[in-house]
Amino acid sequence: MRRLPDASLRGRAITVDLEGESIPAIEGEPVACSLVAAGEPMLARSVKYHRPRGPYCFAAACSHCLMRVDGLPNVYTCRTPAREGMKLERQNAFPSAKVDVFETIDWFFPKGLDHHEMFAGVPIAEQVMAKVARQLAGLGLLPKEPAPASPESRTLRTRVAVVGAGASGLAAARELTERGVPFLLFEREDHVGGRLAHGAPEQDAPAITDVATLAPDSLVTRATALGLYDDEAGRFLVVGVWEPTGVRLLKVYAERFLLTPGGHPPMVPFENNDLPGVYAGRAASLLLRRYNVAPEVAALVGWGEELYGLARLLEERGVKLAAVVDLKGPPPAGAHPLAVAGTEPKAHGMRHVSAFSFTPRDGSRRKVSCDAVLVSVPVSPSFELARQGGAKVTFDAGHGLFKVDADADGRTEAADIFAAGDLTGGGSAKDAAIAGRRVAQALVGGLS
Amino acid sequence: MSKSMICSCEDVTADDVRHAVSRGYCDVESVKRYTGFGTGICQGKSCLSAVAALLEQEKALKPAAVVPFTPRPPLFPTELRLLATAPVDESQPPVGGLPQDVDTFASALRPEGPLPAKAKVVIIGGGVMGLALAYNLAREGETDVVVLERGYLCAGASGRNGGGVRMQWGTPALVELAKRSIDLMKTFARDLGINVWLRQGGYLFLARTDAVAKRLERNVTLHNRYGVPTRLVTPDAARDIVPGLTMKGCVAASFNPEDGVIFPWPFLWGYAQGCKKKGVRVETYTDVTGFEVSGGQIRKVKTDRGDIACDTVVLASGAWSPEVAKLVDVQLPNEPHRHEILSTEPLKPFLGPLVSVLDSGLYFSQSMRGEIVGGMGDPKEPAGLNMGSTLRFVSRFARALMEQMPHVGHVKVLRQWAGCYDVTPDNNPILGRTPGLDNLLQMSGFVGHGFMMAPAVAERMAKWMVTGESDELFTRFNLRRFSEGALEREDMIIG
Repeated sequence: MRRLPDASLRGRAITVDLEGESIPAIEGEPVACSLVAAGEPMLARSVKYHRPRGPYCFAAACSHCLMRVDGLPNVYTCRTPAREGMKLERQNAFPSAKVDVFETIDWFFPKGLDHHEMFAGVPIAEQVMAKVARQLAGLGLLPKEPAPASPESRTLRTRVAVVGAGASGLAAARELTERGVPFLLFEREDHVGGRLAHGAPEQDAPAITDVATLAPDSLVTRATALGLYDDEAGRFLVVGVWEPTGVRLLKVYAERFLLTPGGHPPMVPFENNDLPGVYAGRAASLLLRRYNVAPEVAALVGWGEELYGLARLLEERGVKLAAVVDLKGPPPAGAHPLAVAGTEPKAHGMRHVSAFSFTPRDGSRRKVSCDAVLVSVPVSPSFELARQGGAKVTFDAGHGLFKVDADADGRTEAADIFAAGDLTGGGSAKDAAIAGRRVAQALVGGLS
Repeated sequence: MSKSMICSCEDVTADDVRHAVSRGYCDVESVKRYTGFGTGICQGKSCLSAVAALLEQEKALKPAAVVPFTPRPPLFPTELRLLATAPVDESQPPVGGLPQDVDTFASALRPEGPLPAKAKVVIIGGGVMGLALAYNLAREGETDVVVLERGYLCAGASGRNGGGVRMQWGTPALVELAKRSIDLMKTFARDLGINVWLRQGGYLFLARTDAVAKRLERNVTLHNRYGVPTRLVTPDAARDIVPGLTMKGCVAASFNPEDGVIFPWPFLWGYAQGCKKKGVRVETYTDVTGFEVSGGQIRKVKTDRGDIACDTVVLASGAWSPEVAKLVDVQLPNEPHRHEILSTEPLKPFLGPLVSVLDSGLYFSQSMRGEIVGGMGDPKEPAGLNMGSTLRFVSRFARALMEQMPHVGHVKVLRQWAGCYDVTPDNNPILGRTPGLDNLLQMSGFVGHGFMMAPAVAERMAKWMVTGESDELFTRFNLRRFSEGALEREDMIIG
């Protein structure tokens, strides 16, 4: 990964401290992005086998980018804005992540280590193992100082709480605004739009709603939905909002919950899919579109529309493509000329991706050089809130994903929970926007 | 070294999932527990769909049986200090809890094969009690045993507890049982081939009032009499045992270095595998729907997979025991009470013992994996089978924990869940024959500490059942005591 040479910087140039070394960064961008752009993609060692890890999803949906940041363990560096002088340490390595003696565990156990049965009942060995395991387990150290108190929590009441300002959440918010229905829209990122803002561009994609057209004070960004609960006063959403003084907890009671949180970039199991340099496709488009950071030569693997959209985006921005491998079948008409159907993808490299190999459907195994492997598959719907609230979640065997059961109006099995967008099983951003608007209309109809 | 990761938080490979399936753990909840996938920092966001797809592709599960594991709040790792700010009205009882349907299982998970038409012993409940009893019966030579479990192994309290094991009890009977249990835990891996990660870091009990301090003092005498090296410790000495502990509001403490924590799940897997090797049937996702009774005896156990004729029935259903007993018109005095619990991000070792404030029921320890695991009872919790999670609990717990360990304010909670204590009027178990229904044996009412008692209780119960030799345990804790009014109350209950 590197910063595109022709791109202007989107913030002040600063430096951060990576284990005593000064690393250039851009103020305000996710510090993991600054690190990979500065040629420091290895951020950690994995918990059991001490495998090198670099950021993968840029969506707080994996654990590859966790570092000790300013003395606090296990901080998502993909969500943490770079600040001048911030101290970053790699975790779970001895003596250092670059030369970690415990990497030997990975080599000693090529077929995996079965902690249930290893040394079970073997005298002495068993006890030694327990002692060693305890020291090896755990990620990061307890903070040295007591934590200052968080800002006081706030309790809010609204008619409709909307989670996620992507295509469907924004369309729903427009509809609610037009109808004069009070609502609050919570967005985890500092920007709205979801995939419209940081996915691979789609044909026929709607424009991102201008937030100035939404009801005043209805949008809360950098606001992470943490759970759906209930108590004597009814159901409420718990949200953690990043404010200048710290994260504040909001308890948000609503008559309806419209869930449009999109999905998580999933892991796709293949050999060395956790090597630094393997990124989720959605992470690659985010880095490119928002921060002008991209690989030089990328191999793309996955399936679905977004895979091909990503290939187009990368090529337009001057990234060389080494391969585009569709794991589900022959590429659609008009796909990138390199695209082929293939199986058995594998990333190669010691500390970082240096090559990618696969078996084309009609041919023998091929290996290409690259500095990134981008895994683009449909996102895994973020059904957690809906499920907590009692909506039914079913497995879609055709797509290999769980989705929320909802009718065309977004109604779920839980009377006050509505769902739209990726949550109900994917589709284009245009479809998501249409669904968001329709669901907003439907849920307004049921309000007293 | 080349590996294909399916859950990179916990370094679980696709082959690990296949291995779990080969061991008979096919449903998503069981694969989660056996492999550890989805238990890391991301809580399954990046791996759950991949594991589900693999299970479906490899025909371990029918598509309708592919259900996600219960999502646990919070959705993202959340600092204890943030949760501590949520308002709590202590004057009101806790209400609700989500999700409300954790206790239901998809019918597609029900095994298709037939149940045996008859068995000598049918054990209802595949928790640690039922499985430990079945295993011990088989060791005593009785292998014509069927264990019926309505969910997956670990679905009930045996899979939901905090893993604490201690000898610090208030009555001789429990001290002796716990002592024997911990001895059996030490040899569990040798006997059953699976690690249970017993770590004897001790239990440090804290007392806020003189009355509770007196109780600790009295117990020390009792424990020492039974060879348990419990000692009273001063607040300063307690702070030496647990660096960073404030002892705020605490006047005294007791410490037994031989208490400890274990990893609960492997006990169930170990006992279940041990049972199967000896020919005992363990039937999961099988629900008991009724009984056939004649002549003061249960003749058949009815299930949603058919009936089993039997000589003896053992009721080991924990908090569900009163519900099952009702099917055969037996009234048990047990009441289920929800107890909530949480687990944090894993950290390098910093906490030796399990610490508990006896007055409030706060307890916390550090698991083998490094997580802080802890809970706190709610004095206002109403009776009822409820395993929903509340914000009230995490908030109360976070405040109480930060009062004793201010350094943990930044530590992030990964998940919270709940289980049910099986509470009896005197906090002691119900064991032995049922008055008026001679072949129904009771093995319930362990008030949240059944897990640590199970190895010893099951050993004695199996011997008592097979040899017919008398054992005072089964008269002392017989159901009859509640009508006869001779109750000796256990007062060392936490959580």
